[in-house]
Amino acid sequence: MKAYREALVSLLIILGIVVVVYWSFGVSKATAILLSGLTLASLYFLLGAGLSLIFGLMDVLNFAHGTIFMIGAYIGYTFFGNPRLILNTLPLFLTLSAGVMVGNLFYRWVGQQNFLGKQNRLLALFLGLIGCISLWWGLKRFPLRPLVAFEPTTPGGAIPTALAQEPLPNMVVRLVWMALSGLLLSLAIRLWSKGRERPVILHYYASAIVGLIFTAFLILLGRNVLEKFFLGLPVDLRFTLAMVAAIAVGAVLGALIESYFIRPFYGRPIAQIVLTLGLMFAGGELVKFIWGKEGRAPISGPSLFAASCISPNIFAWFREHCSSIYIFGRAFPSYRLFIIFIGLFMFVAITLLLRYTRLGMIIRAGVQDSEMVEALGINVRRVFTFVFALGSALAALGGVVAAPFVGVYPDMGGIFQLQAFIAVVIGGMGNYVGTAVGSLILGLARAFGDTLVTTGFTLPGMAQAWKASPAIARASIVLVMALVLLVRPAGIFGKKG
Amino acid sequence: MSALLEVHNIHTYIGQFHILQGVSVTVPEGSITALLGRNGAGKTTTLKSIMGLTPPQKGKIVFAGKEIQGLRPYEIASLGIGYVPEHRAIFTNLTVEENLRIAERRKGDLKRKADFIFSLFPDLKRLYKLPAGNLSGGQQQMLAIARALVPDNRLLLIDEPSEGLAPLLVRELMSAIRQLSSEVTILLVDQNFQMTSSLATHYSLIDDGRLVCSGLMSDLLKEPETIRRYLGAVV
Repeated sequence: MKAYREALVSLLIILGIVVVVYWSFGVSKATAILLSGLTLASLYFLLGAGLSLIFGLMDVLNFAHGTIFMIGAYIGYTFFGNPRLILNTLPLFLTLSAGVMVGNLFYRWVGQQNFLGKQNRLLALFLGLIGCISLWWGLKRFPLRPLVAFEPTTPGGAIPTALAQEPLPNMVVRLVWMALSGLLLSLAIRLWSKGRERPVILHYYASAIVGLIFTAFLILLGRNVLEKFFLGLPVDLRFTLAMVAAIAVGAVLGALIESYFIRPFYGRPIAQIVLTLGLMFAGGELVKFIWGKEGRAPISGPSLFAASCISPNIFAWFREHCSSIYIFGRAFPSYRLFIIFIGLFMFVAITLLLRYTRLGMIIRAGVQDSEMVEALGINVRRVFTFVFALGSALAALGGVVAAPFVGVYPDMGGIFQLQAFIAVVIGGMGNYVGTAVGSLILGLARAFGDTLVTTGFTLPGMAQAWKASPAIARASIVLVMALVLLVRPAGIFGKKG
Repeated sequence: MSALLEVHNIHTYIGQFHILQGVSVTVPEGSITALLGRNGAGKTTTLKSIMGLTPPQKGKIVFAGKEIQGLRPYEIASLGIGYVPEHRAIFTNLTVEENLRIAERRKGDLKRKADFIFSLFPDLKRLYKLPAGNLSGGQQQMLAIARALVPDNRLLLIDEPSEGLAPLLVRELMSAIRQLSSEVTILLVDQNFQMTSSLATHYSLIDDGRLVCSGLMSDLLKEPETIRRYLGAVV
């Protein structure tokens, strides 16, 4: 009975909201409100799931999570509308990371020599300095502006040729600088921290390096062909690829953040909070630097949800792919149903992962006592990195599916992160199911609050609708949080409360 | 008997506190060795230092001929050391089965060991599918020990197993540990001197983070003065 109490309480809250909504608005309007709420809930969940897993397992409050959401949105948006930017910058990153890997290999040799004794740190500083200079040379006057200044392409359309790409020879020189700086910087970092060598399988490592460099040059040489190819793809496929790209970028970013920034500070929560806050600001500025301060309007999105008509029901939509669907007599954008579907799908997928796989078992155990998990012989740090990457990938996915709905703008990370944090707090910090429930409550409350502002609220017997001020809509979320925390200070599914 | 585990003069700090100031322990292969000392002497920290959970700053730890100080806890565990910590530290939100399964280092570990584990702790078979949080204190202790038995460990570090158990359960636990000692080497920490002295063949006595003396348990029992002075126990 005790185990079900939380579920019962949250069910009652949700049911309460639903009943009030239906009672006062009637079926068709209420359904529209509910679906809007579910759309928001789905986005909150995609962000909150990562926050919650990361906090639960590693006790890290990751303030950079919203930034990854935003970067995911921008990457997906750019990949969808203007692959040229990505095709021109990706080789730089690839050669940089190839350089880093070479540096790690090199360190195995240098580190063993130890010919410098105590001068190691001096050498590290020196190498780091040269590394930075060569990084600067590699990026100097990179034609970022013209590459970014794009209008979202119409489906199948081409990017205006006026947008300059750098000539190939210049790009090749840049790649060499990038590889060099990667090598020097990684060598400097390793020498500075005198890190223990991790065992690597040499020929896998070497072939990864060669593969990275090879791919970088392939992309660079074939950039025009690839661009035509991507823009010629069916719009839906292009959007799917954009989703995949955003997920990949999110996962890689998450893994990098965990291993380079969070890992040295386990057990020092204040340092981690300050660090992720710093990453949040740095990431926000980076996005503004690359894509500009102004936001961009939502793109038309995949053509599956773009035909300008209204399907009479869901089944008709499967044939017609209209942009809206009649649900209980009201048109509802079909793309938002897709967002709801993605949220639900991810909830089920992660629930299955946590419940039925060995990895999920390790995560659940680690949430309770990660030190004991490690004492059983499990490399829990690797699980940490994986969970960080998984959470970041989910956030990036949330960003890319949000892009056709809300557009992209430099504040979106902060705004959605705040909502997701509140959802996580309502559900109980670190509890995965709690996060889902919290997102649901929050999304519904938000949609309900918005309706109070736009159409007002009539109880049966009231002559005139009561309209709330816009401030109330925004406050409704905090109100819900305050109510929940009054009753259960640790959140609905929280341990202590 | 050769030594399976040798701890040489380790120094461990927790924060700024110099907890272990030169602890040495020798655990002969096949023995039950008791780590004795009063509350706060550094027994738990010694076990944690061996596991790498509070890595020692100085000193040497040799397990099965390999130096293990400075390795990560999971690497140390993978060499064949099972850890049964104070307060059990079982995963209460996992089922009993999952608590055992998570300790597998190779696929099929649990399958091979299940019969042995159930013969030691028959209760666990009945509770197999229940959340471990529903178990009583004694059952949780059994589970914590069983968890350390799932992989092929050569050494078990058991910390305060009798803590908070009823006398009847302590006797049950003692017989289980005695049965175990034919299979693995054990380093045992427990406040209950009655229990440790009847189980252990060897001992190391520490006080204030330093080794006082060590040797055969039978020799220690001939020195009631030492026992009274350092453990406050009367034999």
